[in-house]
Amino acid sequence: MINSLKLTFRRLFRTGEHTTTRIISLIAGLAFGILLLSEVLYYYSFDSFYPDANRIYVVHENVRMDKSSDKMESYPRVSGAIAPGLKSEVPGIEAATRLNSIGTSVFYTEDKKSYEADFSLADECLFDVLPMPIISGNPKEILKKPMTCLVSTKVAKDIGGEVSGKIIELKKYPGKKLTIAGVFEELPENTNYKYDVLISMVSTSQFFSYDGTSNWMGNDRYYAAVKLAPGVDPKTLEHAVREMQVKHQDIEKMEQQMGGTVLKYSFIPIKKMYSEGAKDMILILTTIAFAVLFVSFMNYILLTLSALIKRAKSSAIHKACGAEARNLQQLIFSETFVLFFISLVAALILIWVIKPLAEAQVGHKLISVINPQVIWPLLSLMILLLALTSYLPGRFFSRIPVSSAFRNYNQKKNKWKLGLLSLQFAGASYILTILVVVSMQYNNLITADHGYNTEGIYYGETQGVEAGKISTLLNELRTVPGIEKVGLGHSLPIDGASGNGVFSSGREKELFNVADFYYIDENYLSILNIPVTEGESFSHGNSVVNDLLISKKGAEKLKVFNGWQNVVGEQVDISAHGISTIRGVFPDFIVKSITEPDLRPSVFYYYPAEKFEQIRADSPSFMFYVLIKTSKTAGSGMLKKITDIFNQFLPYRDALVKNLSIEQKAGYQSAQGFRNAMIAGNIVILLITVIGLLGYTSNEAARRCKELAIRRISGANLPDILRIFILDLEYVAIPAVLLGITGTWFTVSKWMQNFANKVPLHWGIFVGSSLFILLLVAFIAAVNYTRTANRNPVEALRYE
Amino acid sequence: MITLKGIYKYYDSKFQRTFVLKDIDLEISEGEFVTIMGPSGAGKSTLLNIIGMLDEPSEGEYHFLDQPAHQLSEKKKVEFHRNFVGFIFQAFHLIDEMTVYENIETPLIYKGVKSGIRKGMVAEMLDRFNIVAKKDLFPAQLSGGQQQLAGIARAVVGKPKLLLADEPTGNLHSGQGKQIMELLSQLNSEGITIIQVTHNEEFARFGKRIIRISDGLVLSDDIVSDTNEPN
Ligand SMILES: Nc1ncnc2c1ncn2[C@@H]1O[C@H](COP(=O)(O)OP(=O)(O)OP(=O)(O)O)[C@@H](O)[C@H]1O
Ligand SMILES: [Mg+2]
Repeated sequence: MINSLKLTFRRLFRTGEHTTTRIISLIAGLAFGILLLSEVLYYYSFDSFYPDANRIYVVHENVRMDKSSDKMESYPRVSGAIAPGLKSEVPGIEAATRLNSIGTSVFYTEDKKSYEADFSLADECLFDVLPMPIISGNPKEILKKPMTCLVSTKVAKDIGGEVSGKIIELKKYPGKKLTIAGVFEELPENTNYKYDVLISMVSTSQFFSYDGTSNWMGNDRYYAAVKLAPGVDPKTLEHAVREMQVKHQDIEKMEQQMGGTVLKYSFIPIKKMYSEGAKDMILILTTIAFAVLFVSFMNYILLTLSALIKRAKSSAIHKACGAEARNLQQLIFSETFVLFFISLVAALILIWVIKPLAEAQVGHKLISVINPQVIWPLLSLMILLLALTSYLPGRFFSRIPVSSAFRNYNQKKNKWKLGLLSLQFAGASYILTILVVVSMQYNNLITADHGYNTEGIYYGETQGVEAGKISTLLNELRTVPGIEKVGLGHSLPIDGASGNGVFSSGREKELFNVADFYYIDENYLSILNIPVTEGESFSHGNSVVNDLLISKKGAEKLKVFNGWQNVVGEQVDISAHGISTIRGVFPDFIVKSITEPDLRPSVFYYYPAEKFEQIRADSPSFMFYVLIKTSKTAGSGMLKKITDIFNQFLPYRDALVKNLSIEQKAGYQSAQGFRNAMIAGNIVILLITVIGLLGYTSNEAARRCKELAIRRISGANLPDILRIFILDLEYVAIPAVLLGITGTWFTVSKWMQNFANKVPLHWGIFVGSSLFILLLVAFIAAVNYTRTANRNPVEALRYE
Repeated sequence: MITLKGIYKYYDSKFQRTFVLKDIDLEISEGEFVTIMGPSGAGKSTLLNIIGMLDEPSEGEYHFLDQPAHQLSEKKKVEFHRNFVGFIFQAFHLIDEMTVYENIETPLIYKGVKSGIRKGMVAEMLDRFNIVAKKDLFPAQLSGGQQQLAGIARAVVGKPKLLLADEPTGNLHSGQGKQIMELLSQLNSEGITIIQVTHNEEFARFGKRIIRISDGLVLSDDIVSDTNEPN
């Protein structure tokens, strides 16, 4: 073995064995394949770091949205009382916990330094279900005591020094002082529920105007996780869960009213939660990864076998010296092993080099991928590939019949080479067509009309601005040249909206659920360019607090449920608001994003600026945005100008102003990352295919050099010769390309199933990319054969 | 030692069967030095390869040291290559990426000879064929004659009973060729059975028996008379 390694290194950089090209195609394929597959495996590794992760389930709420549809929608959030209820009423549940997110917020320490972290309220059972190593403090005690918190090691490190006993204050919730009482180990990135600071759940009322911790219905914003006793199948819990619902939720009455199932709970394995949600993505990423790996390995094998054919004689010599098949296999094995190993190392280095680029695409640190769930399967795949790439050529080499090896073995016709090559064509056209479709779909997303304007619109958070200074801030902004309009709103279309129920009169039943954008002032809709098509828009003076605008879809539903001819002027009762008057109707726009659209009707309530100020004065944590529309001619620098003005009103000068159009695009980051992965895959696969083609045509030209010369001498001109040679290739390429695009068709139709807004799969896409591949084949063959054909025919014959 | 009975070798192509060897009967005893001659394409190399078990006859029986070679398993054939036969080729066929030393050592490695003993055996060969100075050179750095010396050293280092030489002098000029032939004679006198193929009448006479074949048939099989032997 040592001996064969030595020989390998001697062979390594001999010319004519395509060593460099072989390595390049392997490196490209491996780097891309490893990146993509580790990403996919990463999806499957979510939350697997918890001990006994197999017994941990996330409680999902399945609700039927409205009477007219049978579809149950599933959310990983439940009401506050569900988790403790499950623990006490359902045998088989060993522990249960609930978390209530406050979200990401800036916070301040007493020395006026500011940091950022993810905050969550948690009950004292958290670490029974989702344990993390505790560095200091007693988590059970801390999570039971009001206004105390635990911080992660990362936050502790950010703050520095001994953190226990320190007081922190969230920017979002001025005046609410929290005492740090313990430190836990930072959560890895591959978790469905991320937090840096855990606040005791008993502090809920300090952060929410409504404390729903013991609610059985509604206020379903709690992430609940349970740990089942060993051997318990979650399906067997159904009955006990139903009992609990009957006892506490009066579920039977609700079902009567709604005429069927209303609300059910299900337990989703915590390890599967993430991958279930990313199924389509996983499907396509995996196929692309394997397609690229496959093509690069096919190419590698093709080039390796070509190189081995040149060495057919040495196979025979070794045999004559007494080598058995095993010895020869070993010889080739160590050669391919070294090449593979070099390529693998180079691929890892390449990944490391492009790390910033890759991280920007996948949206998490690459280092997070290094966990057993990812490493072991990848390693096994690498070993399998190594075995295949080393075994196949070795077997081939050891089986070359001795008697023909001593003759001109390489003069034989090599149909199998064409076979391997055609697999590359199939792979290339497969991926190329997918790229085209994915890019089109992506462009479709970002250029699609969302139903509102984003051009030149900025928005800033008002947290931290004193209530009394809001109007000054607005006036200040209005004086800036280039700013056309300034308005206020509780939330933005890209953020999505929380849900509230529309009730029938007398609150007898919920008619349907709406995406509730809460409060806006009279400028909000005109800034976003959302027209009011019936009735009239909010205006200062004419509108009163709590006047309502509803989307077209909602208006239609109201007409059906209430038998109205017209909705303007009518009154509706919506949870969290009570009864208000409909002032107008606007066309439905895209709530959240096209990829995850909120399809419910939407509503806006009217608050004049003074009302916003007043509420802020009463409750400092009341949040809303300032929206700013700049003129087309305002040019760049607006973001800075606006931020500067905001900072004048913020004690810590930490204003957060954003551009709506950029943020909207950012919402499609995963689609973009996906498209970019496709582009990278394409570059890799085309590169490999070109390498393979160059290798093949060079070999073929060399093999048929005599034929070429004879044809030339007998008077054939170059185009004739090229035609013959290129047609030979195209006969193989055409079926391969057809196979490739058929594969694409199946993959893309599966992938697009869940898109509301699909690009049509026009036949032109398929024809176009097929032609591209076929022309590429012809072009490369033409170039390479021309080189050979232009050699002096006499010389070519003499060489023979 | 070698008994061929009714050996046929043919290749089937699309439309016809081409016979390369037809009904060859041959008996070669231990210690002989046999020369096979014949026009190009007569089937000499094919015959040699069959004897060397690098190729299989299409029909017929082949006994080597009373063992039915045509029935031997792959494993047994490898044993045969390791222990009983050495090959010398017209194109030398040294392994390019190995030094002269390593080339000579290769059959011993395959044979499983211990490294200490191996060193001694290779050194002895280098000495005997006067190529000690070349031991660390690669084949491409040697002259044709030197390459063939190394080739012979490699063929005999494992102390084979049978040496098969397919035109060993074909790529050499006559001076070098003669040197090689003398070496073969000497090896033969030490007891190694040799079968060589050559086109050269003079070199053919180094053998003690000349078999002429043409078109896959044995034409004649003569003992070389002492008077005709050179020197
Ligand atoms: N693998 C094969 N397939 C088809 N025909 C073959 C094969 N091997 C040998 N032949 C044919 O068998 C015949 C004999 O070949 P062989 O190499 O034995 O001739 P030879 O006597 O050694 O000739 P030379 O003196 O030129 O070396 C030739 O006509 C050759 O074309
Ligand atoms: Mg021959």
